[in-house]
Parts: sequence; structure tokens; C-alpha cells
Amino acid sequence: MAISVDHFGRTYATATGTFTAVDDLSFEVATGEIVGLIGPNGAGKTTTLRSLAGILRPSSGHVRIDTHDLVGDPLEAKRRLAFMPDEPHLFEYLTVEEHLRLVARLYTVDDFDGRARALLDELELTGKEKSLPGELSRGMRQKVVIACGLVRNATTLLFDEPLTGLDPIGIRRMRETIVARAKAGAAILLSSHLLHLVQEVCTRVIIMDRGKKIADGTFDELASRADLATAGSSLEQIFMRVTGHD
Amino acid sequence: MFAASFYIIVCSFRNRLWVRLRRLRQPRYLLGAIAGIAYFYFTVFARLRGGRTANPRLRGGGPSVPAPTTQAMLMAGGLQVAGLALLVLAALAWVFPAKSSLLEFTEPEMQFLFPAPVSRRALLVYRILRSQIGLLFAAAVSALFVPSANIAARLRFAASMWVLFVTIRLYFAGVTLARARLAGSTGAARRLAWAPLAVIVAALGIVGTALVRVFMTHRMDGINDVLAGLGTALGAGWPQLILLPFVALARPQLTAGLAPFLAALAGSASVMVAVTLWVLRSDAAFQDAAVASAERRAERKASGGSAPKARATGWTLALSGPAENVFLWKNAMQMLRHTSGLTLFRYVVPLVLAAAGLTTAMMSGDRGRGGAAAFCLMAIGIAGFAALLGPQIVRTDLRDDLRHLEVLKTWPLRPAAVIRGEMLWNGLLITGIVWIALICAAIFSAAAFPRLSMLWRLSLALTALLLAPALVFGQLTVHNATAVLFPAWVPLGNARPRGLDMMGQRLLMLAGVLITLAVFMLPGVIVGGALWFAFSRFIGAAVLVPGAAICLGIVAIEVLAITEALGPAYERLDLTGIERAE
Repeated sequence: MAISVDHFGRTYATATGTFTAVDDLSFEVATGEIVGLIGPNGAGKTTTLRSLAGILRPSSGHVRIDTHDLVGDPLEAKRRLAFMPDEPHLFEYLTVEEHLRLVARLYTVDDFDGRARALLDELELTGKEKSLPGELSRGMRQKVVIACGLVRNATTLLFDEPLTGLDPIGIRRMRETIVARAKAGAAILLSSHLLHLVQEVCTRVIIMDRGKKIADGTFDELASRADLATAGSSLEQIFMRVTGHD
Repeated sequence: MFAASFYIIVCSFRNRLWVRLRRLRQPRYLLGAIAGIAYFYFTVFARLRGGRTANPRLRGGGPSVPAPTTQAMLMAGGLQVAGLALLVLAALAWVFPAKSSLLEFTEPEMQFLFPAPVSRRALLVYRILRSQIGLLFAAAVSALFVPSANIAARLRFAASMWVLFVTIRLYFAGVTLARARLAGSTGAARRLAWAPLAVIVAALGIVGTALVRVFMTHRMDGINDVLAGLGTALGAGWPQLILLPFVALARPQLTAGLAPFLAALAGSASVMVAVTLWVLRSDAAFQDAAVASAERRAERKASGGSAPKARATGWTLALSGPAENVFLWKNAMQMLRHTSGLTLFRYVVPLVLAAAGLTTAMMSGDRGRGGAAAFCLMAIGIAGFAALLGPQIVRTDLRDDLRHLEVLKTWPLRPAAVIRGEMLWNGLLITGIVWIALICAAIFSAAAFPRLSMLWRLSLALTALLLAPALVFGQLTVHNATAVLFPAWVPLGNARPRGLDMMGQRLLMLAGVLITLAVFMLPGVIVGGALWFAFSRFIGAAVLVPGAAICLGIVAIEVLAITEALGPAYERLDLTGIERAE
């Protein structure tokens, strides 16, 4: 399995004690699979993704990327990962091209120039190579983050709200890119509130609420579940039923 | 609108105070507050109390009385000098393109107040009212430093400073608004906008001519002559008339006794009222200037400071090599692209002032003379300042990169390599500056230290060259270790949190860094010292060099060991649970 999450939990220390953001979460994502991670605000999606990316340390359980434990063998695990966060955090004094070069150096990318050029074309960033993030729109900055994630051959892609700030053409391109990467053999975990995107792109869906996994399966599997059979014919209706908002 | 203005001001002030009090529940803020209060007490109040008991003249409760000659000098020329300084300041406001902070509306203010059915004049009044808390605080602080034990005298001084600060603040706002109208659409509007500028230029011309005339025809042999000359040039005729409003603003600060003070304050306040009326009449340009200002502010916020521009540096990152070099390149790019003339000015001015102060002190102590000696001592001052305070001032390392921690932590790099890499650019840059200064000092050292032999001077120079990187990298290691171990104490990016507790936190941090640095350097110093006692009688000052080299080696080992040891802490580093100061 490309991603293996085993009894993962994450707590935060607060002024009044501790807060459990994610509790006993287990799931797997195989190569070529696109798994949608959905849930209401505060469900623990971003905490899960950030922990999978190596930003947060799990409080309990294990996260493995291509069998490499993220805590025990972080460098090998991170080499296989690409995380595209919802907020484009870029170095304000590095140009678009320099960001790609930096990533290429960190992850040892062969044929950097060719890959970078193709990617800049694909994401419509051609002509912006010498621009600093401050000179770009939010959507453009989001594309740079995605380009940094895709410039290397990561086997595992983590997307947190990948369409935020993109224009309709960008959204369409992004959808095609995600599907193409999965077909090329990447394991993809995608968190989004855009349920129609999840339904359209993902091969499987995990629904979280208040830090726990409350549903996991393909859309057909969820739709045929006894307790959800009457919910309706869309992911949105299933989501509302599962989270108790219908 | 007045009621709404007061509501916003009072609620914001009360809530800010409440937030600052509430955060004292956290030990770091409480410790900071205690340190801040202690610092404030010992530097201001205790000093004042000590001064009151020590100075019998002050014990009487009257205002401080300068020596008769000084007082006569001040009364003769002091007012004119102060008035002239204010006139020059008023002219400079037109020259420098700085924007008035009075027009800096926050985003919520823009969102709530601009669409509201409120006149532009009312918005301007709101901003004027809003700025009063800061101005009152500044006036109160300035009164604490008045050399007087009399509370009434302090209150009088605070009141006069408040009038001065308000007038200056308003004047700058007026200039910003007038500048926006200089290219007005109609001839009448343009004439109205250019009028104050023309008045200022004419005033400067008349005053300047009078000064040149007096100073060209009279010989000036000292400060008394200069003050007397100023009195002659500015104390009569047109110059006196021109400086009248400026002198009126400065008069209350230099006036003793209640009745004369009240009369002087009335004059000063009338100038403030005149400036206020001028600004309120400029309200037509106000909204455009305010919106432009808010947009600039939003842009600055979005880009984390002033909007940088891509500059070609000719330094491309190689696609392979040690991980540390990635950070060396990244931080170099950041600094090279961030650094502007203004930034350099901010650092170079204190550097030169510190060096000049040290030079003066050393030259007067050693009775050194001549340009070469001065240059040498200046270079030593720069080297010392850069080595001791450079790592504190230049924060292009993990302290600055904590805001990018989420990106850094996804990179497949060893934590020790990240920490070492982050320090590399800063360390090399500061060491380079120190070395250049030390080499300059060594070249001219014969003139500054004629009593030292060549061997001593050479040995000392080489020792300093070897110790500089130890000192710089030692400090950087302590600062970056603090960022890893106590991230809550490190301000993110360009943030400069305010409050007494934050001031205390900074003081505690500085003390902690200095103590840790002393411990850090201790093994090297002990070994170097032992070497000195063992061999100095045989080879003299030359023994300093191997001693420094050993010290440098020990510090290098310590840096490597500490950065390796910080790895697990870096892995655990998580900023999400940290409550930042507002």
C-alpha cells in the first residue's frame, strides 16, 4: 500500500487541557487510487493530511508511506510524498523558477529543465518564471505550489483543497492532472469540501466527523449501505445523512 | 459618529488590555511582564528617586535649573533653534514621500466605516481621536525623562509634548492630503494645494538668507557665539515672524512656572487648532488617500512586508550538493532581494554611530590622533558591533523561517542539516563583515596603538580573526536552538509584538542568550587560557593564535554536536499550539 494509516491519533495541548483532533483513524490508499477525504469543519481532515505530510507528529499510531514509517524513517517516507496545502506558502523572495529548482535539488529530479518547462506549460505559468510570489495572484501562487509538488516523481500525492483560488479553466486542468497522475501510478489522497469534485474524481471516499472515520468505501458501496440506501443518489445527500445533517 | 468613534476606541483599548492581562496566565508572558516592570522601575523610577535624594536642588520640588550661562544661552538661542528645527521638519515632510499614519485605516475600519453613512470629515476626526492613546502615551513617557523631581513640572511637560505630537501628526496628514491634490483637476484646486508648499519654501528661503548673512559676517568661536548668532538672525524682522508658530510650539517645553507656561501653552494650542482646521478643510482628498493607503497596507500584509521585486543575482542553485547549501542559497536570495537602501540605512546608521562612539572614547582615552588611528578604531568598533550584535539583528535563519516550518518539515532532510543550513548565510555574512573590519584595523593598527609591538598587533589581529566565526556561529546556534526549543518566544517574521510583557520577554531572551553564549565559549576560553599560561613566557603574544584556533575548533565541535542534538526537538516542533501575541 502506498499510504497506510494505522490507529493514528493526534491531540493538541490547549489552555484548558488537551483536544483530540483525530482519534484512532485507520485506512489505506493503494497505488492508482484517488481517495477523497471529506467531512465538516473541524472533522480532522487537515490534521490528518498534515500528519501524513510529516508536518505534525502523530500522538499515537503509525503512518507509513510505501512501507516507510513516517516517524521511524522520515527521510525515505518524505522523499515519496508531495503535499499541496490549501494555503500557498511560498518563499517571498524566490521566483517561480527558483522554487521549482529548489524542489528539484531537495528531491534529486532528473531532467529538471524539461520537466519544469512542461509543468509550467501544463499549469499555465509560462511567462511567470521570473516572478516573485508577491507579484502573483492567489490562484497563480496555488499553481506554483502544485507545480512544486508535481515536478518530482512522488508516488504519493496529498491535496488539501486543491481547487481553492483557481479559475474555471484551472479547475478543469487540475482535475485532469489529478486523474492523470493516478493513472500513472500515484496514490492520491484529496481533501475537499467540493463534494461534486470528490464524487467525479475519487475512486473511494472517507468521511470523517469529530476526529473519527464514520464511513469508508466507493460511492456505490456507500450508496448501497443499508443505513444510507434511502439518503439519495448523490454524495452530498449521503454526506448529510452520515454526518446527521439531513 | 463621535459616539461610534469613542465606542470603537474604548472597546478596542479595553479588549486589548484584557487580552494582555489574560495572557499573563501563561508563564512566558508573566515572566516577561515581571522582567518588563522591573526594567521599567529600575531604569526610570528608581533613577528618578535616586536623583531626587542626591540632588538637593531637585529636593526643593522646583523645576531643574540649568547653570546660569546655559540658561542664558538657551533662552537667547534655544527657542530659535527649536523653532528652526521644526521649520526644517515641516519642509522635510514635503520632500520625503512618507505617508501619514493618520490615514492608515485598518481593513476592518475600511469595511465598516467607509460604506457607512459617515462624512469624510467625521472619519478624519475618528482617526485623530484614535491616535490620541498612542500620542498621550508618548507624551507621558517623554515626561518621565525630564530631569526634574516635580510632578507638576512633569505634567506640564507632558501636556506641552502632547500638543507638539498632535500638531506634528496632523501636519504630516495635511501634507499627505495636499500632496495628493498637487496635480488637481482645476486651476483653483491646484493653487490651493500648492499654496502651503510655496509658503514653506518662501519661509525657508527668508530664514536661510538671514542665517547665511549673519554667519558669513560674524566669527563663531564656540557654542555661545553660535547661539548668539542664531538669536541675532532669527530674533527680529521677517525670520522672527516666520518662526512665530514654530517657536510657539517649542516655548512651553522651555518655560518654567505655571502662569508663563499656561500662556505659552495657549500659543502652542492655537497653532495646533490652526493645523487641525487646515487638515479638516483638506477632507476632499481624504478618502482617496485613505483608500490608497489601506490598499498599500493590504499589499504589504499579503507579501509579508514591503512588496519585493525579483532581482537577478547571477547565482543559480546547483541541482546537487550538500543540503546545507540549499539554505545558504535560499537565505542569500532572501536577503539580497529584501535589502533596499532604506534597510541598509537602518543597520548602517547604528553601526556607524556605535563605531564613532567607541572611536571617540578610545581616542580620548589613548590620546590617539590622526586619520589612520581614527580609521583603525572605527574599524574595531564596527567589528565588535557586528560580532556581538550582528547575530541578534540579522534574523535570516530559522527564527525567520519558523513561518515556513510547514514547508520545511515536508522536505526529506535531516533536521541537523536544516538547522546548520539556516545559520550558514548569516554566519558567513557577519563573519565576512567582521573580517573586513578587522583586516582594515590591522593595517592601520600601528597608528592607533604605537606602544604595541608588531608581534602583539599581528597576534591580536589573527586571534580576533579566528575568534570572530566562533563568536558569530556560537550566538547563531544559541538563537536557532531557542527557535527550536522555545518557538513561542521567537517573534514570527517581521512581527514586533508590543506590550510590557513582550519587552520583558525580549530582555529575558537577551540575558539567556548571553549566559548560554558564555557557557558555550567557556571550554574554548579555558583551553586557550591554559595555553597562554603555559607558553606565553616562551613565545610571547604569538601563543594567542593557537589558543584562538583551539577555541574555534572547540566551538565548531559544539555547534555540530548541538545541531545534531536538536534533531528530535525539531521533529517534534509544532507551532499550532502556540498562542501568539496580538
